[in-house]
Amino acid sequence: MDVVKTLTDKLSIEQVKIELLNTAYGYHHTFLQRLDPRTLFLWYLVFGVVPFFIHSTPVLIGLAAFLVVLTIMAKVSPLIIFILTLGLLTQGGSYLIVGLFFGGNVTAMLPLLKLTLKLSVISMASIVVFCSMSPEKLSDGLLKIGVPGQVSFSIGYAYRMLPTLVEEYHHIFLSYRLRGKKPAKKGLFYSRHLFYYIKLLIKSFYPLMLSVAKRSRTMVEALESKGSLYGFNHPKVKQLKLQHLTIKRRDVLFFSLSISYFIALIWLS
Amino acid sequence: MNTHQRFTLTQSQKMMVFILSMSLYGLSNMITELIPKFYLGPIELSVEYFAFIPLSLAMIFHPLYAAIGASLGEVIFGEIMLGQFGGIGELEKFIAFSLAIFIAGVSVRNPENKKQVALGAMVGVILHQFISMSVDILKVWVGVEELEAVEGLAESVVVIEGLAFLNDVLFSGILFALLPTLYLVPRLYGKIEPLLGMKPRKNDLQLGLSDIVTVPFVLATVVLGSLSFLFEYLSETTFGWEWEAPLVDRFGEWIVFPMMAIPVIVALVVVSYLVKRKGRKDTDGYSEVV
Repeated sequence: MDVVKTLTDKLSIEQVKIELLNTAYGYHHTFLQRLDPRTLFLWYLVFGVVPFFIHSTPVLIGLAAFLVVLTIMAKVSPLIIFILTLGLLTQGGSYLIVGLFFGGNVTAMLPLLKLTLKLSVISMASIVVFCSMSPEKLSDGLLKIGVPGQVSFSIGYAYRMLPTLVEEYHHIFLSYRLRGKKPAKKGLFYSRHLFYYIKLLIKSFYPLMLSVAKRSRTMVEALESKGSLYGFNHPKVKQLKLQHLTIKRRDVLFFSLSISYFIALIWLS
Repeated sequence: MNTHQRFTLTQSQKMMVFILSMSLYGLSNMITELIPKFYLGPIELSVEYFAFIPLSLAMIFHPLYAAIGASLGEVIFGEIMLGQFGGIGELEKFIAFSLAIFIAGVSVRNPENKKQVALGAMVGVILHQFISMSVDILKVWVGVEELEAVEGLAESVVVIEGLAFLNDVLFSGILFALLPTLYLVPRLYGKIEPLLGMKPRKNDLQLGLSDIVTVPFVLATVVLGSLSFLFEYLSETTFGWEWEAPLVDRFGEWIVFPMMAIPVIVALVVVSYLVKRKGRKDTDGYSEVV
């Protein structure tokens, strides 16, 4: 009984909508947020990739400690950290169990722990970088490093359209519920109800597809009339748009300090 | 030829397909992120993704733009907006998913033919899941230093990922890709195209199936196969002796890995280039009739 109750509570799209908007639009002001996106990309290239090829435990531990500090500084939402740890633990754990089944022993734990450490360093690096960039900054940064203008436009468009889309989808879903009828029998573990709801979720996409098609046509025609399709990848337009991006002293400091920490770690071990 | 030319997609129509696919699949991605998962023992009953959206769009419209739009939508809505963007790791997902959807869309020549639609949907899901399974296995095989030293690890990874693969194909694949696509494509066909100011894809004008499906498909398998071979081969040999710096002496192995990253990157670039080129040929030629 309660399973479906809590499930329908969770599926109460009103609640979900609020949660979503909170995650998508809530940003903190942190030190990392003031850095130039290019610095962050470059930093990520080092700290998000190189650790994968490091097999020395002390270096990995040192990196993990550094990244934990940065993660705290970036004020990453607890939910994301929770998801990260859960994912790492369950994956490592399941490998371990099946590994034991195939005749391994507990020493299997050690290399696995190392791998988990490595993966958590890498994921922390990406969380730190991409959580401390607001959408405008991310799209400007991407545009600056040569990603096509369509991509950065899409990021902006997505942020603009999300509330509208969610609202519309919710309306369609509600109207399907209004016209339909829940199955009278609950089925095993409420499976009938569950399948009914999932079917509605899927069916609701049909009207949505048609209306989004109309909307995207309007959008593209508006873009066309403003010459945006031409301007997306025009160097002069880009230059004008990205004027505000400048590398400041704190960028240089942040990057050089963290790199020297990295090198010192390798040197010391 | 002239009449075909007239039906070729314009730049803005491609953009429309792209935006349509991006916003729809992005939205669905947010929804699937929120649906709870159920476990029946080792079998996970989860809504992996609403693959039917990009699949049906790729079958009805231009496969390439629908595929790339969907992948981008997943990255933006499902990752960036929820604050879980994984950086470079997303690139692999992006390429795998675009490739799978693109091939699925190209392989359906007549959207009114249910058999083709069903086949295309399953091909797309299987291809995507297969690529992501291989990548996951490789990740552990490369990431753990002395794989052979740990008994049972190599096998257990394969078993777990293989089970997940079967689970995703059989459960998510049938429930959320095959059935909804079969429901949606005939309903949308001929109805959604006029909304974008296009004509429906015609039945009599067909892509040369044999040369379009096989090239990226064979290429992808060849690339994946050779990659796994490369990883295995390189881990046997030691490149350490060439480097005399104490640093490298100490970390002899990791020097090898950046080297191995080069073929990976080259392979990815080649695949994406080929896919793009194929897509372009697709529109410049006579296949895309809209």
